[in-house]
Amino acid sequence: MADPLLIVRDLSMTFLRRAGLFGRRTHQIRALNQVSFTIEAGETFGIVGESGCGKSTLARCLLRLLQPTGGSVRFDGVDLLALGDEEMRRMRQRMQIVLQNPFSSLNPRLNGFDLIAEPLRTHMELSRKEMTDRVASLLAEVGLSGEFMSRHPHQLSGGQAQRIALARALAPNPAFLILDEPTSALDVSVQAQIINLLLRLQRQRGLAYLFITHDLSVIQHISDRIAVMYLGKIVEETASEEIFADPQHPYTQALLSSTPMPDPASGGQRIILPGTAPSAANPPAGCAFHPRCSEVMEQCRTVFPAPRHTAPDHQVSCHLYDHAQ
Amino acid sequence: MAILTVENLRVRFKTPFGAVYALRGIDFELAKGQTLGLVGETGCGKSVTGRSIMRLLDDNAQVTHGRIIFEDKDLLQVDDGEMRRIRGNRIAMIFQDPSAALNPLFTIGQQINDVLRAHASNTREGRQSQIVELLASVGLPDPAQMADVYPHQLSGGQQQRAMIAQSLAAQPDVIIADEPTTALDVTIQAQILDLLRTLQRERAISVILITHDLGIVAETCQHVVVLYAGRVVETGSVAAIFADPQHPYTQGLLAALPRPGSRGADLTVIPGSVPSGLERIAGCAFAPRCEHVMDRCRGHQPALAEIGSAHQSACFLHEASGDG
Repeated sequence: MADPLLIVRDLSMTFLRRAGLFGRRTHQIRALNQVSFTIEAGETFGIVGESGCGKSTLARCLLRLLQPTGGSVRFDGVDLLALGDEEMRRMRQRMQIVLQNPFSSLNPRLNGFDLIAEPLRTHMELSRKEMTDRVASLLAEVGLSGEFMSRHPHQLSGGQAQRIALARALAPNPAFLILDEPTSALDVSVQAQIINLLLRLQRQRGLAYLFITHDLSVIQHISDRIAVMYLGKIVEETASEEIFADPQHPYTQALLSSTPMPDPASGGQRIILPGTAPSAANPPAGCAFHPRCSEVMEQCRTVFPAPRHTAPDHQVSCHLYDHAQ
Repeated sequence: MAILTVENLRVRFKTPFGAVYALRGIDFELAKGQTLGLVGETGCGKSVTGRSIMRLLDDNAQVTHGRIIFEDKDLLQVDDGEMRRIRGNRIAMIFQDPSAALNPLFTIGQQINDVLRAHASNTREGRQSQIVELLASVGLPDPAQMADVYPHQLSGGQQQRAMIAQSLAAQPDVIIADEPTTALDVTIQAQILDLLRTLQRERAISVILITHDLGIVAETCQHVVVLYAGRVVETGSVAAIFADPQHPYTQGLLAALPRPGSRGADLTVIPGSVPSGLERIAGCAFAPRCEHVMDRCRGHQPALAEIGSAHQSACFLHEASGDG
């Protein structure tokens, strides 16, 4: 079997924030705490978590829009953290990102043509004719007609703008797309259109996706494997179906139970978590979830649970599973 | 029995681009003690409906037609003084963004005190204990201390609880909640929805829950009104609408949702997008996107018709199949 496309090992990101009079006190915010996972070529890896869990920081660290403070990222066999700025810029042809709100990520002064041509100009030498052909075929790929070349972002609906953002990300022919809440700002009927488009592009281009969202229904639909994050850590990782069939971490169970399902008959007992997620500036000792956990034990307050395999393809960080392997 | 009835409500907005027809004839009834979900996508008119009931529409809005009956009075006809007494006292509203709805310059306690002073006669001490009671009833920790904090010191979920406490202060009969959990994380959303369910049950408050999330409707409401382009396209009990949706738009919305077990399959898509509201629509507003469209749909507007017990839908298909 070929090596995975992306290998992330013990990735950590600690922000230093100054506080107090004249900023004399500093405190650390551990946004990412030893995060490890791999993504195979052509597969979709989903990351789900609530605000502040570190999922967007993770996206930025992978692209080195932020410089991680620890760990390693290997993409296609290359150690990204060892690359110089110019080499990293070239590497970004192969790894692109699409963000939640296209109206804030797309330059409002550019029309559709320039928005899509811009990355082509940065990354390759093309004649005007070749450029126009490329932009037209990219527009067609995302389901838009040639007339969108002359439209500016304010003339687009949310779904159309997200299609332009996708065409722009696809322009340099990436092998890997990071999708950070790409459908969260869209209405249900438009969300379905974009999800179908993402599935089709993946089949046609053999793309690998890192799909980041807070929406479990969306992520289980599109992902092959899913990782659940809580306060800078992956607490559970397994195949997409397994997350729904056999959620093992108490946080995953609560998250699933909290997600409203469009089925009045599904009733049943809801797990309602007390309190809110703690701040990454002042995380609890031991397992960060223990103050909200209904199954908390003595060691949870002091010792962070190491990840355990409860099945060959199911990993969970929780003391309830300490007996496993 | 209906506590609130909306009849043929029509609202338009003056804009630089021309008149936008936001509501094009809305009808529904809120039964006493019921939670009614007002559901639809962006621009369908669900928030405008809520604001029309509260008479909180912007200056460029004009109610051109209709009645809103609350206890034998038409809220569109009562004078400003009476409306002020009804608003808050009898009908309260909760908004999506509590940080924008709470005043940042006053403590939570002061803001609830204002409501109590305006709407109920009581002594200062009496109000103080009522404030603590209210904050406790919405599940805020240390309610006595919470009265003295400012909104920015609270998390998003706590702010929403504080706003709910404020809206309960005048003991309203009806609460209109406009996307009350949309800005919150799912585990916090579950807490707030649970709180709303408890309050509704214990205080027999009637609730209009405005949301775009069909999952929230299924878990929280007893009755649903589905809006499309400023009209009610389907209404009925939650059980009927979710198990047996009849209008093609409702069917499309439910089919477009990703569900467990459907991984990787193409989702059902409603082609096209919603009309802008700028154009006057002669027939059924959904006709351009509807897979069952017939000639008459383009020229005539279907009326809401009974298609089952407490289940109505506005579509010519029901007549064609002989149900109506």
